[in-house]
Amino acid sequence: MTTLQSRPAPGYKMGERYGQHPDDGEYPGTLIIVEGIDGSGKSTQIDLLCKWLNSRNLVTVFTEWNSSPIVRRTTKRGKQEELLTPMSFSLIHAADFASRVHAQILPALRAGAVVLADRYVYTAFARDSARGVNRDWLRRIYSFAVQPSLGLYFKVPLDVSIHRINTGREELGYYESGQDMGFSDDREESFRVFQGKLLDEYDAMTEEFGLMTIDATQPIAVQQQQVRRYVEPLIADAITVRGQSVPEALSRAGLSGRYITAPMSRRLTATELSDL
Amino acid sequence: MNTVRFYGHTPPGAGEEPTPGRLIVLEGTDGVGRSTQIAMLQEWLEAEGYAVLVTGFRRSTLAATGIDRAMRGNTLDALTLNLFYATDFWDRLEKNIVPALRTGMVALVDRYIFSIIARARVRGVPARWLNDVFEFAVVPDRVLYLDVDVEHLLPRVLSVRQLDHWESGEDFQRGPDLHDNFIRYQGALINEFRNLAREHNFVTVDARGSVGDVFQALQAEVRDALAGMGAG
Repeated sequence: MTTLQSRPAPGYKMGERYGQHPDDGEYPGTLIIVEGIDGSGKSTQIDLLCKWLNSRNLVTVFTEWNSSPIVRRTTKRGKQEELLTPMSFSLIHAADFASRVHAQILPALRAGAVVLADRYVYTAFARDSARGVNRDWLRRIYSFAVQPSLGLYFKVPLDVSIHRINTGREELGYYESGQDMGFSDDREESFRVFQGKLLDEYDAMTEEFGLMTIDATQPIAVQQQQVRRYVEPLIADAITVRGQSVPEALSRAGLSGRYITAPMSRRLTATELSDL
Repeated sequence: MNTVRFYGHTPPGAGEEPTPGRLIVLEGTDGVGRSTQIAMLQEWLEAEGYAVLVTGFRRSTLAATGIDRAMRGNTLDALTLNLFYATDFWDRLEKNIVPALRTGMVALVDRYIFSIIARARVRGVPARWLNDVFEFAVVPDRVLYLDVDVEHLLPRVLSVRQLDHWESGEDFQRGPDLHDNFIRYQGALINEFRNLAREHNFVTVDARGSVGDVFQALQAEVRDALAGMGAG
């Protein structure tokens, strides 16, 4: 049984704790989060982890930074129209996170699921601090966050991440490259300055929050083996769903599934989980 | 010359340049008559020669539409709504209120952080966390609080319109009776406003009087807060 706290975790280094939050308590689920700068390969790793957990029939819920259905559109608009400043950037992302904790993360942890989060509060701490937002304030406003069972930090040198982004991804965004801060008029140079600041923030946080560092310059498969070694002991009691494989059911019945339009295998949504 | 003071740390973006203007806040529960008084104050101040900025809840370019949309759904929790409001508030503070204060205007704000805090406290959000979130707010030159008890509030609201879902706290209270929900919710809300009035030295104005009586009381306070600005 993992104890999850919506109060500040020990690592938050605060003098005072908040009162009992309504969502406090013990939950059977496991929360695993990945962190790292853009191009660190963390999303690839968490995707592989998710597939492994699914293959073991574990109930797995995946949550992504900046994806709340009720907040995300405001953030998107703020980015597109360049309305966001360091503080409003920080606050709207906190709103998005709060919404996902309430609607997605906590219900899944209560049900005993494994929750995988691609980026967590540490992304806010790194980005917002790099934009000059008060570090102590950030830790206090995010004190409602659930303490992860495992936090993995994918550490990669700047040159490697920039090379990966240049070869494989769409163009860098205005805020992604920290251009709102006026580091440089040149987008790539601005990205380099901003991401360099993020690396410093992450380095300081690995100790502050006990994040496990993974050398993200290693081959993908080697990293994934490390990830699974960290995760294995945490999922012994995780709940499973039986018979979720549609292809298996089809083959057992000798059918081809030509009328099935839904994805052949997918993750359960938070709503479906609460119906379990 | 004034500079802005914050409740906690100085946030990036609001700066510490001189602010010759004045920040006047009007607080009070739903239906207490704030917007009428704000309109009268604006007209009076402009007649006296002051440049006035009026702003209030959910009027930011960034977040107003998003909040309206979120409130139409049914999955909005107290923390999220609160942080959404904080976004809206900051956007107006940074882009409207502080610039107005810098140019020497009078900023008349219809509901400040205290309405957000009172509503969240009633919904069980820890007071300490709320104070932390809103420590980026500028300390107003004067907070004028229109106080009314729920017995006097109800007939006033009913004479204008029907009772509202959010103003009756139906997002978190059980029970089918809108009247009972309104009484219970507004009673708790007024109680929190009175706590905040003590904590933050509001000037409490009895809002049970006539519009004219209330306006005169507000005028006296505003005149006092604007002393030394050189108009009037």
